[in-house]
Amino acid sequence: MGSARYRIGIDVGGTFTDFVLVDMDRQLLSFHKEPSVPDDPSAAVERGLEALERRTGLMPTDVEVIVHGTTIGLNAIIQRRGARMALVVSEGNRDVLEIARLRLPSSYDFTVPRERPLVPRDRVFEIDARMRADGTIVSPPSAERLASLGEALAGCGVEAVAVMLLNAYRDAGLERTVAAALRAALPTVLVTESGVIWPEVREYERCVVTALNAFIHPLMTRYFNRLQANIANRGIQAPIYITGNNGGTLGLDTARARPINTILSGPASGVVASTRIGAAVDQPRLITLDMGGTSADMALCRAGVPEFATGTFVGEFPLMMPVVNVGAIGAGGGSILWVDAQGVLKIGPDSAGADPGPVCYRRGGTRATITDCYLACGILHPDRFLGGRMRLDADGAHGALDRIADRLGLDGVDRSVRVAEAALRVASTKMATEVIKLTAQAGIDPRDFSLVAYGGAGPTHANLLVLEARLNSVLVPTAPGTFCALGAVLADVRRDYVRTARHLIAPAGVLDSGQDGWPSVALALADLESEARAWIAREGDLIGEHDITVSFNLRYPSQAYELEVIVPPDQMPALSADLVCALFHTQHHQLYGFQHPTSPVQTTTLRLAVIGRVPAIGLPELAPGEPNAQETRQVWLDGRWTKAAVYARSDLGHGAMIDGPAVVEQPDTTVLLLPGWRARADRHGTLHMTEVPLA
Amino acid sequence: MKLDPILVEIFFHKFTAVTEEMAITLQRTARTTYVKEAGDFGTAIANPDGRFFAYPAALGVSGFLDSHCGPALEKVPDLVPGDVIITNHPYATDGLASHMPDLHLISPLFHDDRIVAYGWDFIHSADIGGGVPSSISPRFSELYQEGFQIPPMKLVKAGEMNQDFLTLYRANCRTPDVNLGDIEAMLAALRVGERRMREIITQHGVETFLDAQSDLATYAAIKARTVQRQIPDGTTEFWDFLDDDYNSRIPVRVRCRLTAQDGHIHLDFTGTDPQVEAAYNIPTGGKRHPWLTLKLMHFIFSHDKTIPLNHGLFENITVTAPCGTVVNPEPPAAVGIRSATAIRLNEALVGCIAMAKPGLMPAPSGGIMIPSVLVEHDAVTGGRRVMVLQSLVGGTGARLGADGVDGRDSSLANQRNTPIEKTEEEAEAMIVDYRLRPDSGGAGQWRGGTGVVFTVRIARYGSAVLGRGMERFLFRPWGMAGGQPGARARVVLNPGTAQERDLGKLDIFHPQPGDEVAIYTPGGGGYGDPLLRDPEAVREDVAFGYVGTTAAMETYGVVLADGTVDLAATEALRATRQTERAPLKRFDFGPEREAWEAVFDDAFMNVCNALLMQLSPDLRAGRRRQVFDHVLPRLAELGREPLPAIIGDVGAARARAAEALDRLRDDIATFA
Repeated sequence: MGSARYRIGIDVGGTFTDFVLVDMDRQLLSFHKEPSVPDDPSAAVERGLEALERRTGLMPTDVEVIVHGTTIGLNAIIQRRGARMALVVSEGNRDVLEIARLRLPSSYDFTVPRERPLVPRDRVFEIDARMRADGTIVSPPSAERLASLGEALAGCGVEAVAVMLLNAYRDAGLERTVAAALRAALPTVLVTESGVIWPEVREYERCVVTALNAFIHPLMTRYFNRLQANIANRGIQAPIYITGNNGGTLGLDTARARPINTILSGPASGVVASTRIGAAVDQPRLITLDMGGTSADMALCRAGVPEFATGTFVGEFPLMMPVVNVGAIGAGGGSILWVDAQGVLKIGPDSAGADPGPVCYRRGGTRATITDCYLACGILHPDRFLGGRMRLDADGAHGALDRIADRLGLDGVDRSVRVAEAALRVASTKMATEVIKLTAQAGIDPRDFSLVAYGGAGPTHANLLVLEARLNSVLVPTAPGTFCALGAVLADVRRDYVRTARHLIAPAGVLDSGQDGWPSVALALADLESEARAWIAREGDLIGEHDITVSFNLRYPSQAYELEVIVPPDQMPALSADLVCALFHTQHHQLYGFQHPTSPVQTTTLRLAVIGRVPAIGLPELAPGEPNAQETRQVWLDGRWTKAAVYARSDLGHGAMIDGPAVVEQPDTTVLLLPGWRARADRHGTLHMTEVPLA
Repeated sequence: MKLDPILVEIFFHKFTAVTEEMAITLQRTARTTYVKEAGDFGTAIANPDGRFFAYPAALGVSGFLDSHCGPALEKVPDLVPGDVIITNHPYATDGLASHMPDLHLISPLFHDDRIVAYGWDFIHSADIGGGVPSSISPRFSELYQEGFQIPPMKLVKAGEMNQDFLTLYRANCRTPDVNLGDIEAMLAALRVGERRMREIITQHGVETFLDAQSDLATYAAIKARTVQRQIPDGTTEFWDFLDDDYNSRIPVRVRCRLTAQDGHIHLDFTGTDPQVEAAYNIPTGGKRHPWLTLKLMHFIFSHDKTIPLNHGLFENITVTAPCGTVVNPEPPAAVGIRSATAIRLNEALVGCIAMAKPGLMPAPSGGIMIPSVLVEHDAVTGGRRVMVLQSLVGGTGARLGADGVDGRDSSLANQRNTPIEKTEEEAEAMIVDYRLRPDSGGAGQWRGGTGVVFTVRIARYGSAVLGRGMERFLFRPWGMAGGQPGARARVVLNPGTAQERDLGKLDIFHPQPGDEVAIYTPGGGGYGDPLLRDPEAVREDVAFGYVGTTAAMETYGVVLADGTVDLAATEALRATRQTERAPLKRFDFGPEREAWEAVFDDAFMNVCNALLMQLSPDLRAGRRRQVFDHVLPRLAELGREPLPAIIGDVGAARARAAEALDRLRDDIATFA
């Protein structure tokens, strides 16, 4: 005792705050769910820690590290509850947020409005500071204009300011000058410079990153301060890490300075945990399904690691930073059933959400939802939802479905379940189309991929979806309800860096020294690398080894499109223009069927990531155990009531094998196994569901 | 409907997913910038008649939903499994390809020896030969100038690539590698579509597959008709003008007569001007065509967002588009910039709907799309560099209950702009302004969206600035239901200096280093009486800088003091204004169009066009120019001189107009 041997993962969600406690010595995992406190999310964290201490006998000094994920920043953006802020731009560029990228959300529907700008136009200020694309200064900010800007900002009572000057991706110097003057004039105001937060070309997208950071900066600073104090009050001295959009974690100080890096961390952590589950069963090809009450998220992993996107959206805004590529698919347990004027059954996009929720929650919901369909079909048991903590109203669900049946012109005793089954089919079809798009974007065959299902409804719907989308199999982790908290505690420390750098490169000797851009590229990379190494060295003692990965956006000089080329880690020591060009030619050939092997290559963007390895956690092993069906119940499948065996998840030990039709119940979810499918629990307890080959 | 409604919904999602997977495949592997950046491509699956039964919801071009492969298919009757048809021919396909850079492929899906569906895709390729790089110029008058013509023929024969065709094709475009890459991408997308459709047939059976095609069309048709019933029975007429036909200063008029009966809509474009000797003609084959019904589609979809996207949406629409007009030209009339005419024509269609029932449609948007281009000398290579500075549009029109969108316009292509920083990476010139244009949105109870000001400061000797699609320099985006028109477009040299000069419509301009060239785009039309606009909304417009204090007072009758509304003074001022002003107009076209139509009214234009149509097609354009020259001898000076000066005495001009018609009649009688 006394030596730090516990790690704690915490994920703050809208309804629950989830905890995972890892006992490093004994390789044990404990889980805990604490109701969230929307007004003060750190209060739920404190209560949950207290509960964990009570349950496990954990001593505050035993804690080695706390890894924390939160959606506070994201929610503040979606609900527009961030800081009152201002934006400072170069002269002539005042409408960067008004005009955005010109395109409107719908090409068909003229009633769809544009996004509401983050900063209203009367709080966007121009300053006479301008730089060219080559980094030369056209005009430095004048002292008078800086002084009057400070006064104007003081006059409009802002808490935060974003500074985005044209071409500042080349050099943040001018922005720093402006920001320094503002910080001096307005000491309490938090200032974000675009060239510091994310120096990448494209002023609108960079402005959004900068403005979003400023928007949540005051709020997140207050929250992180409170969290730190609450944890310290419990006597826990361990370092605190915050999960990031890129599936890695950040030290608390970094997260405080760059809260934008944390906003999409929840879904990213789930994907990180999925890759661990996949690695344990030697399946690097995964599609993740995180399905909850209001929404469902999907992500693709091709090579056992999360994949990144640089073109995702946060609410109405594009995010150009690399984030784990998670896409919302607009269907969840709360999606509402309705019938249009022509008598056709529709699902969503409206959701009953958590409040009032599905009819069967008895919270005043009157419109049938997907969760009501699970209940009506017998997949859910009314007395065992959330481990029996919430009794579901089956009569209410049937009643709501009967009303849908009326609109569809259905009658007969089973009409409510027939509607429910039809709705589940429609929902599965819609979700499968999202799988198809995801795999088409990557150019891969879904039949090689397994679905990792988590969240409250993911394991319930997984088999139906996999059947429709023709995926290979389903993997259900042991604790699907606290999976993102597990991902948090499994994650390494990671930060991404970017430079926009247009240079011509070619194998050594091809270009004359005046044209050869490789020395500049190498210099920029060295710069990024030393910045990255300096940062990781400051991020705490927990980090052992660290790795650097590098990628390039490249194109042939005559072409308008580019490819991202990732340098394989084992080839990093041999990094050279020869290597980068060869990788590009090969990749170009793979995608387009031809290459110009003698042509020079143009770099547009350099990316570098530093990954600080945290000592690995072994997933706990399960004792062998034979399944034991306590009972059976009737489940409506394929147009009739079918007798399904019912298992408790806790009874499925290592090696347990069950055949569908079956239902597996556990406190945080219910797993449906279809006829013709078989599930086997592996040594970590993960359920593998596969189709039984026809004899 | 033949299938149960749950299956219909399931097929809706499955079919849409097929077309979206095709689109994603195409986008991922295509190489031309038009696909990568602008999304100028399309994918769909067509029924055995060649009409689309499914279309992507948000990938590629939205406007080609009602395209018809039938005419192209008729030209290649001997299809066998493994064939793929290629075409870009506007006339041989009745406008499936509506200009020649658009390359279309069609592949049949055979099941038990019969065709049960087709896959279709198109892309706007980088270049298809012709007189200029990228193949489009307004000054072209004939298809022969616009590039390499490909009548419908087999690109792939029973699985074998037609190498002879490829050799010919490669020799006839400026970017053969890129173009060939695009063809590969299109073929890959067709293969994906075929594979998915086969899976659906295996799962559900071919008869169900076919029933679902027709059920979804029936379903869309029922939904569309329900929406169209909002247009009251009866007939309305409306027309609008392009400023000119590029080669002269004569405006081009498009005219629409809408007849509604119980949700059925007939559009008659009789009275529209004869085809022009410029690239503004819209090839339609004289039939229902995507370019002729675009705004009806927006209308239908905006009122029922669940409608499945397929040809059924248009099944309650019929069209008359007389042969030899700009909406149904005869070959070989050039068609490259048919979109400019289509915008105007669809605004006439909006006018028809609004006339039938105010409030159903928004006022017109800025109604332009200007790809502004800079040519710079390259100091290093000594060559010329050509780059797009910006895609410029105006604002959208206001509608009952909502202001227009400032500085953006989705009504035609809904493209993305070019970041200033990307432009400045390429160019030495600097973008000194890209901002909203105050006081340009049409005033109204709901305000039209503002246009933008885009200013480039020239850095090098020998630079040139170009812009095509320069429209709404003369006639304004009109206001609706008492709303006022938006401001007109302008191009100004060195604004705000002693050297300020209006450049009028740019074709190509050669500025000096240090010069600033500013392009002002039009604002959208306003909707409703400006004096009824919520004074708070006016105050906010002023605070945000969309509207100046003068306009707030003069146009909106709102008195502001220290940034707040003086309610009492506002009420008093509005009461005075209300009694003093002229009656509100249902459609406010602005003084320029009123001046023009005081001479060339609807009756004159209808008679004149009917007479011209009696002439043989090759004579029409020349004879038409004679008519206008006779009525307005100084018309060529328009732009340098204001319209009233060109017209002079209206009575005299009208007398000359009558004279011109008489001469035209005499000529026709002589020729006959």
